Amino acid sequence: MNRAHLDELDRIELPDGFVWRPVRRHFGIQAFGTNAYTPGASGQVVEEHTEQTNQHEEIYLVLRGRVRFTIGGDEHELGAGQLVFLRDPSLRRAAVAITDDAAVLAVGGKPGEPHEVSAWEYSFATAPHTRAGRYDESRRLLREGLEAKPGSAALLYELACVEALAGEHDRALELLNESVATEERFREYAQTDEDFASIREDPRFPR
Amino acid sequence: MSDGYEILTLDEVETASHRGSNLIPLRHTLGFRPAGVNAWIANSGGQLIPPHEEDSGNEELYVVVRGRATFTVGEETAESPAGTLVFVPPEVFRTAVAEEDGTIVFAVGGTVGEAFNPGGWDSFALADTYRQAGRPEEGRAIMAQLIAEKPQYWASHYNAGCFEALAGNADAAFEHLRRAKELAPAEDAAMYFREDTDLDPLRDDPRFQELLG
Repeated sequence: MNRAHLDELDRIELPDGFVWRPVRRHFGIQAFGTNAYTPGASGQVVEEHTEQTNQHEEIYLVLRGRVRFTIGGDEHELGAGQLVFLRDPSLRRAAVAITDDAAVLAVGGKPGEPHEVSAWEYSFATAPHTRAGRYDESRRLLREGLEAKPGSAALLYELACVEALAGEHDRALELLNESVATEERFREYAQTDEDFASIREDPRFPR
Repeated sequence: MSDGYEILTLDEVETASHRGSNLIPLRHTLGFRPAGVNAWIANSGGQLIPPHEEDSGNEELYVVVRGRATFTVGEETAESPAGTLVFVPPEVFRTAVAEEDGTIVFAVGGTVGEAFNPGGWDSFALADTYRQAGRPEEGRAIMAQLIAEKPQYWASHYNAGCFEALAGNADAAFEHLRRAKELAPAEDAAMYFREDTDLDPLRDDPRFQELLG
């Protein structure tokens, strides 16, 4: 039986201090998007974001503990067995754990379209490797992502970060420019991203 | 419903009976569109997930939210406490029984490479529960909502036809079923028309032979 307890799933701590439990990736699910989150250093369990880019509808179900959601400026405290459904992709959403044992399951997707693995899943998976300097492993995961999502600006950007950190400055600048040419929003992100400290003064850096 | 979002407590949703289980009809209640989401609730010893297999390509994930459940998947059986996730690939037998009172299992499903289409079995389960409770108009409104959500999808009309057949409204039933036949892949429609016991109240009607023909 293909079965796992939440606490047996990989525990991938992300830079924002929350812990990604890769449910979809663990089981190899292709038909829909689903993941779980538990609190790390920051207590966060849902990263502050909107779904403007992906146009996903989302459900967050509290599996354990208590969680405070902030949705479009409103606060709601939810316990195990309660969920919030976000129909409107433009709503800003975030959640923090009130109890240490909190766990949230997310289900999301774009209505009317077959499920596609989101680019961020590949990026999230690289976090522990990049932090530990295992750049080859991060490169491998991001190339796997680029095979599944050719030309993804988000993945090109992430690979540029890895190359900059690995000291491959020419490669990093090339990838970053390719990302910015594909999606303009990455130009703005790049201006303040610490990963690019080593290449920001280069004339080829996108301004 | 508030502005663009909705909060819901699983055990406060009115349940529907479906093949010996108690369905918490989440997809219908929320109007969630990207995947099939529902939940099941049962007391100790009660059936949570009706024994069944899913069609080719249909993946399903079950999550024990509260209590404890014994899952059977294929030939294997495993007791699963809250926080357990069980993934079941297409065309594999599965069922689950509760081991504690108030056990809840959340379910997510979809078909690989296809946009999610609500088959409407869950809407039908709720509508038929209302019908049996003497609230047919509420049931009819649920089927109308399903058709409004997916007007070009044959199963929406088919399930509305089943509802009306059981409600004793042959005219309305045939209208829905004719529309379902127009929209359905021919083999699918013929198989369901032949085998579905929900349609038994219509079988002696001459219009049923037209439908099969």
